Amino acid sequence: MKTRSITLYVNGEAYSLNVAVNRTLLQVLREDLGMPETKYGCGTGECGACTVVVDGGKSILACLTLAATMDGAKITTAAGLEKDGNLHPVQEAFISEHAVQCGYCTPGMVMKSVSILAKNPKPTEEEIRRELEGNICRCTGYVKIVQAIQKASETMASTR
Amino acid sequence: MSSRILPEFELLMPQSVPEAVEILAKYKDQAAVMAGGTDLLVLMKAGVKVPYVVGLSEVSGLDYLIYDPVEGLRIGAMATLAQIVDNENVKKNYPALWQSACVNGTPQTRNRATVVGNILRASPAGDCCAAVLALGGTVVLQGTAGKREVNIDNFWTGYRQTARQPFEFAVEYKITAKGGQSAFKRMTRADQDLSKLNAAVSLNMAGNVCQGARLAMGCVAPTLVRMKKAEEIIKGKEITEAVLKDVEAAVKADVTPIDDVRSSAWYRKEVAGVLLKRTIEKALA
Repeated sequence: MKTRSITLYVNGEAYSLNVAVNRTLLQVLREDLGMPETKYGCGTGECGACTVVVDGGKSILACLTLAATMDGAKITTAAGLEKDGNLHPVQEAFISEHAVQCGYCTPGMVMKSVSILAKNPKPTEEEIRRELEGNICRCTGYVKIVQAIQKASETMASTR
Repeated sequence: MSSRILPEFELLMPQSVPEAVEILAKYKDQAAVMAGGTDLLVLMKAGVKVPYVVGLSEVSGLDYLIYDPVEGLRIGAMATLAQIVDNENVKKNYPALWQSACVNGTPQTRNRATVVGNILRASPAGDCCAAVLALGGTVVLQGTAGKREVNIDNFWTGYRQTARQPFEFAVEYKITAKGGQSAFKRMTRADQDLSKLNAAVSLNMAGNVCQGARLAMGCVAPTLVRMKKAEEIIKGKEITEAVLKDVEAAVKADVTPIDDVRSSAWYRKEVAGVLLKRTIEKALA
């Protein structure tokens, strides 16, 4: 097939699409669904700017995923973290800990952070840094990003 | 070529193994099999033409990772590196494979990339490849005539060439030997980088004496290779400083690395023996 009819569940909403099979999930999110917060950084799987979270909290790269193979997938992007006008604790922590400079890596960093905490609610600094190996930041030196994840971990623990 | 867009191709999404086999029998070497896609998509973005992509993600039952103390380890075609990293049995019994999976790619690619895919890619720098060569095992291939198994020692036939026929696909990698004491080490610039040199060992120890060893190195030849002379040196001996010095020297004499973007032939030849020695020490620790 050269096109495929699929349904993607993005941030809780169902989208029925007919996609060309050679389109990546990244292209479909940004161009077909008008959700540009998931960024194109390298296109080859090294920078992590296109990180999204799928079924059960797993982080994957939208640039290396064919949209046509994602029929039925539940996908969360950075814009989908907000609930009833309230930012997600990870988003709040990125703000309070000043973990954003130019902001380009941020959506990918935020989604990766969400997946880290989904699997490991109390990560050590070493565990955080190892899990961030797939997300590159040119501006911050990673320090405040690590601190933001630690802060979010505390916040999320105290609201359980 | 742009890394934003993929060239055009036909996608086939078989729903079963027999359907996948039928597709490959029809399209043969015009088709590429896609498991996680983290390697294939990069190749296509770099300009490699693939008329037919056969995606395995909707074939159920290929993502198994089954350990048995007697039967060994069976890794299904769609079993991801993340599954390997999360598996205590692999960590305990096949540490070389576990260690290689922990560093291969990035956390995100590990959620999609597969061990079998790494083996089929047949890059001489494959991290999981080094581990499986040291641990031994067989690639299980399925074609229209049924299944056949190829020992990993005979699977890589040349630079990025394998024993797989165009009408077959790899359904499983099987390790039947007991893991022995194994370890994996590599040298890179950054963590998610391709290896400039890697090594994996599996040692069959009886007390202090090494009864047999499989010593595998990548990035020193067109395929991953076992360091056979070094294996002979270590066999039947206690692994002392002196024995390790001989292993180091044998490796240095034996390897024929090349210059490439990641390292130079000279550097690789200088340190290959040291890396292998340290991998042996890691396995024994």
